[in-house]
Amino acid sequence: MEAALQEKLKGLMASKLSREMRLYLDTCARCGICIEACHAYASMPETRYTAVARAETIRRLFRRYFKAEGRLLPGLGETIELDDAALEKVHETAYTCTGCRRCMTYCPFGIDTQMIQGIAKLLLIGADREPKLLTMLADMSIAKGETIRDTKGAFEQAVRNLEAEVIEKWRGEAGREAIPVGVKGADVLYVALAGKHSIIPAAAIMNAAGEKWSLSYFEAVNFGAFVGNPEKTREISRRIIDEATELGVREVAICECGTAYRVMKHQTGRHPFEVISFVDLMERYLRDGRIRVDRAKLDGSRVTYHDPCQMARNGGVIEEPRRVLRELAGDFVEMRPNRGENWCCGGGGGLVAMGEKDFRMKSARVKAEQVRATGATVLATACENCHTQLSDLNEHYGMGVRVAFLSQLVADALVQA
Amino acid sequence: MADHEAVKVLDLKGLPCPMPVVKMSQEIGSVKVGEVIEVHTTDPGSLSDFPAWAKSSGNQVLESQQDGGVIRIFVKRLK
Repeated sequence: MEAALQEKLKGLMASKLSREMRLYLDTCARCGICIEACHAYASMPETRYTAVARAETIRRLFRRYFKAEGRLLPGLGETIELDDAALEKVHETAYTCTGCRRCMTYCPFGIDTQMIQGIAKLLLIGADREPKLLTMLADMSIAKGETIRDTKGAFEQAVRNLEAEVIEKWRGEAGREAIPVGVKGADVLYVALAGKHSIIPAAAIMNAAGEKWSLSYFEAVNFGAFVGNPEKTREISRRIIDEATELGVREVAICECGTAYRVMKHQTGRHPFEVISFVDLMERYLRDGRIRVDRAKLDGSRVTYHDPCQMARNGGVIEEPRRVLRELAGDFVEMRPNRGENWCCGGGGGLVAMGEKDFRMKSARVKAEQVRATGATVLATACENCHTQLSDLNEHYGMGVRVAFLSQLVADALVQA
Repeated sequence: MADHEAVKVLDLKGLPCPMPVVKMSQEIGSVKVGEVIEVHTTDPGSLSDFPAWAKSSGNQVLESQQDGGVIRIFVKRLK
């Protein structure tokens, strides 16, 4: 590795060494409690899939270049040089970790492995070795901030073409748009994904609740976060923040996408509006009696719920989906463990977008067993990434469930007044 | 609306996020510079995603057509 590149990477690493990060890098006592917390290790018991091993490459680089003993006597301590071999190791650790942070909940010091992997991902970006697919998707989102001026009309037409499917689920007031877009003064800006499955059920539910809402022109997902690029993450979020501010909405409701919710809710600072998940909104409508659902729709079905890591453990949306499901289903059972201790589905951290199907299936064997043990026939979740991964697991392991978004179950059970 | 002569048709209807753009980016290298791929999708977001992807990747969306719920996008490889 050229000296100039090594210096650049050391600079990038230094930019991540906050007080918390230094604490995480200094503190590990190698107690090993985190080892069995990782779904990948639980499914494939190899040392490289433990949280402590994943963090070790970064720890050794930290000791080598940012601790006095490593700088002065690098041969004596547990250090490694920042070279091509180290970057290969960094790549493996960063992209076999889904960033679910389950290990953190078991660590007696609360060491955040995902945060440590943030260094790994930044080093890969600096060395131009990050997964190009994720950068391409992030760049597309950023470019959309400019090209949207030219494509708004076509998007609006496409949305109008979906309105009949919304009305099939909920007949709204005559003359009222089933999918409003660009509504100044709306109370809620709903940020969906590109697909209609992310728009139609939510539209029906908000119309049933009599909500004054508007659909965002942008997609909720943030690939800047997946690839670990802080600048791109900010730029992608900025598009939605600007749109919400311009419309003057009170709330921004993020669709069923865990990373999108966590980034917008917890990592973009304060705004003149509240950020909520669409699960929060559905729960509120049910609690306030603004929508009603027909439990008979799920008669004969045993329903369980997969907590998306970025929604539950890392986002705090834990009891709301359960309250929604108890309204919907007579036979709702928890998978165990659940809530903040739930097993990751194995598809996070960009793995679903990147493909990686062989690793995703093998590393999530424990998830399939956990679902199967519930005896459920319907597996509900509230995250696009999880939905895709769980659908793949369903096929791969023959789980025999119907994987469904919460919004889809609610929309299908709406009771027309 | 003029149809464009596509050398390849990609049926991306109903794929989860972000697969339509992922598939497109994987397939663009399979055609020659100057050739056109026709994409079929049902995602409203594709109408803004594909032009944004084309801008950031140095390709060109020649035209988008909507026929009910099916969206046809013609993408020309430029480099």
